[in-house]
Amino acid sequence: MPPVATLGMPSQPVRDDIDNTWEYLQRGITKIMLNLQEGVDLNTYMGIYTAVHNFCTSQKAVGFSHVANINTGSHRGAHLLGEDLYKKLTEYLTEHLKRLVEQSKAHTDEALLAFYIREWHRYTVSAKYIHHLFRYLNRHWVKREMDEGKKNIYDVYTLHLVRWRDVLFAQVSEKVMHAVLKLVEKQRNGETIEYNQIKQVVESFVSLGLDEGDSSKTTLDVYRYHFERPFLEATKLFYQNESKQFVAENSVVEYMKKAEARLDEEEERVKVYLHPDIAIPLKKACNQVLIAEHQTILRDEFQVLLDNDREEDMARMYNLLSRIADGLDPLRSRFEAHVRKAGLAAVAKVATDADKLEPKVYVDALLEIHTHYQGLVKRAFNDEPEFTRSLDNACREFVNRNEVCKSGSNKSPELLAKYTDVLLRKSSTGVEEAELENTLAQLMTVFKYIEDKDVFQKFYSRMLARRLVHSNSSSDDAETSMISKLKEACGFEYTNKLQRMFQDMQISKDLNTGFREHINTVGTKSLDSSYSVLGTGFWPLTAPGTTFNPPEEISSDCERFSLYYKAKHEGRKLTWLWQLCKGEIKTNYIKNAKMPYIFQVSAYQMAILLLFNDKGKNTYEEIASATQLNTESLDPSLSILLKAKVLNVEGGEKNGPGATYSLNHDFKNKKFRVNLNVGMKSETKQEEVETNKTIEEDRKLLLQSAIVRIMKARKRMKHQQLVSETINQIRTRFVPKVSDIKKCIEILLDKEYLERIDEDDIGYLA
Amino acid sequence: MSTTEKATQKVTLQSNDGSKIEVDRCVAERSMLIKNLIEDLGDESIANAPIPIPNVNDPVLRKVVEWCEHHRNDPPQSQEEENDNRKKTTDIEEWDQKFMQVDQEMLFEIILAANYLDIKALLDVGCKTVANMIKGKSPEEIRKTFNITNDFTPEEEEQIRRENEWAEDR
Repeated sequence: MPPVATLGMPSQPVRDDIDNTWEYLQRGITKIMLNLQEGVDLNTYMGIYTAVHNFCTSQKAVGFSHVANINTGSHRGAHLLGEDLYKKLTEYLTEHLKRLVEQSKAHTDEALLAFYIREWHRYTVSAKYIHHLFRYLNRHWVKREMDEGKKNIYDVYTLHLVRWRDVLFAQVSEKVMHAVLKLVEKQRNGETIEYNQIKQVVESFVSLGLDEGDSSKTTLDVYRYHFERPFLEATKLFYQNESKQFVAENSVVEYMKKAEARLDEEEERVKVYLHPDIAIPLKKACNQVLIAEHQTILRDEFQVLLDNDREEDMARMYNLLSRIADGLDPLRSRFEAHVRKAGLAAVAKVATDADKLEPKVYVDALLEIHTHYQGLVKRAFNDEPEFTRSLDNACREFVNRNEVCKSGSNKSPELLAKYTDVLLRKSSTGVEEAELENTLAQLMTVFKYIEDKDVFQKFYSRMLARRLVHSNSSSDDAETSMISKLKEACGFEYTNKLQRMFQDMQISKDLNTGFREHINTVGTKSLDSSYSVLGTGFWPLTAPGTTFNPPEEISSDCERFSLYYKAKHEGRKLTWLWQLCKGEIKTNYIKNAKMPYIFQVSAYQMAILLLFNDKGKNTYEEIASATQLNTESLDPSLSILLKAKVLNVEGGEKNGPGATYSLNHDFKNKKFRVNLNVGMKSETKQEEVETNKTIEEDRKLLLQSAIVRIMKARKRMKHQQLVSETINQIRTRFVPKVSDIKKCIEILLDKEYLERIDEDDIGYLA
Repeated sequence: MSTTEKATQKVTLQSNDGSKIEVDRCVAERSMLIKNLIEDLGDESIANAPIPIPNVNDPVLRKVVEWCEHHRNDPPQSQEEENDNRKKTTDIEEWDQKFMQVDQEMLFEIILAANYLDIKALLDVGCKTVANMIKGKSPEEIRKTFNITNDFTPEEEEQIRRENEWAEDR
């Protein structure tokens, strides 16, 4: 076909002549490359496209280039033209880019950046045009080459990028990067910069990441190597120098503020003009030079901050060190040590006289430390579980092993139990319900740390028994709340007995109502009495240590109640706990009394005083034989009556055998209701000793039952395993000693609950 | 310009013998060549001037436009479908079959135009039509159908037959 030049049509080159065709094409391409802003008209556009099409479809070219195909027998199919065009275009691009490289040498720094970006834009926009104009080549020749797996053949757009990368980028990228880094350093030094330039450079570098295996995909390799790598190096160097200098001239706290600001700044930098791919490595690099390389001085400062309670600065340090691997561990151990020390110091301060230590003072001291540092963990350490654990470890240490506990590890649970008793007992200093609940909740915090929970249980149940028997508990609700808290912490078994005690009191109330109705129907005259029936196994109470002959006045009523109870519950045995009984007696013998005095007395005191209804004077021996009390119970009862001046000893003799007693008719007191039923100091002291003694016994039983339980389930176990399993089971109650466990195993072997098999295996005997 | 406005914008195509055909833009854009051209040069460039189509004459261009009008709402084919379709069959839908009932010269002109204008679907239909004309015919019949002179020597022909023996029906 001859060249066609119809009306308004672009004239076409000779279609099968490569030189003629290329000459024609080059004119168009150059226009696009250099003067695209002037626009391309329809004729030129269609002309270039048609010339490419015509060349690739020219018959003559098919004729001579590769006739050999048929003879070689390859199944390549029809030969496609275009190689010549592709080569020409490649050469053209190379030349164009070489010129650009030359031009770039005239620029440095920011001017170079501007140049690079301008040319990059021009080039890529043109590349898109040319890609479309050479679409016929792409569709046929390029596609065939690529399908056949030829390397280094790309579609026309990619070819542009490859040429850019290999010709221009290879030569100028380093200089461009240098300019970028210089600009960033300026900004780091506080100047305002045109960061859009950097953003565009990044985009360009990213575009050049071509996947050699699959041109439709891109990789970040080029960008990572030519941008990220030098950027990270420059960042490290910059901050290394800066931080070194800053630390030398400023305090650690100031440095932390600086580092914090710098880290935020870098994070922002990524968002504003860097590729997101750099976020993590940049953060890592900054963490390394700004934090990790200074972690020693940071940590050394931590103690100072702790000592001075600089919460905000500690939070800052936490945030910084949490960014590096293993940054916080040393902080935690220091924190733990510090809290332990603070706890011990607080205890030592109140423990000047351990014997007279008020439970409240002691518990408050413990709580104050805990509250303080818990707050610190919450506010400064992000409430992090690991720090909470350090806090718990420290608290457990100073709660169980401190100045006060030196005399015995039971001291902490004992004091805690006593404090609960103080709170739950009826007292003149009435505590608000809500406040009481609050305090109980705090007590549970300390309870959580107590290792010897069994000791607490012992003391608590004794004191609860006393509160119930003497009905001087401040509120049932508070009592129930406390028990449910304990149940929550230690389980059903732990509070079982405590709950049974409550039930007994409730049942007794109903019983008394029933008894009263019964008395009324029978119509006998009776005392205004009230009885409590307490289950033997649940109450920490023992039968009185003395014989007692109750006075006539009450014994008949007691008798009636016994009959009433036994009728209701056949076969049950009632034991009278006289030492816990009390009553009131009204006086009518005292002169000068406007109103008769009422004495609140124990059953023993009552028995003594009622003797004086019959006789004005009684000797010690007469009293002893009438009441049947032994000396241990009689003497203290008498001495209180003497001390209160209810009784006189005739002739100023000593209280005891041989003395004669008479009523003091001149008794005087400010109150009309006089409480004479006060326990002696020595009594409570003795009780404590006894409680502590039973603890050891109970522990042995607890250990043995745990061992038997384990063996029953496992049948056969290694000795060592059994010991550690036992420790596991018992730990919620107290921390057992291995030697104690071994002793218990020996006992069980002797009793033939267990047997020895082989060297160190233990078997269970049913 | 909204998408619908764009679709119905008028585009004038000018064949190499000077006659002009006005079509909706979406019809013209069945040709990838024209689609890219509008994308590159902008909406304005085609508003007032005809697009020259130097390689296609008026009758053929009209025929091509007719096909594009009929297929104006076809969904664009994805890469995968394209590969599948090609392998699948020589089936041609009824309208296209009728459309292709033209003399041989016109058929080849359409194929060439479709190739030039980069209208993939039309090119496929054209080639399938030719393939159906070849199917089931002996070399001699094929030569007759397409008016081809046999320029092989008997030796060459023998060699080719041997090489392609595997493909013959037996």
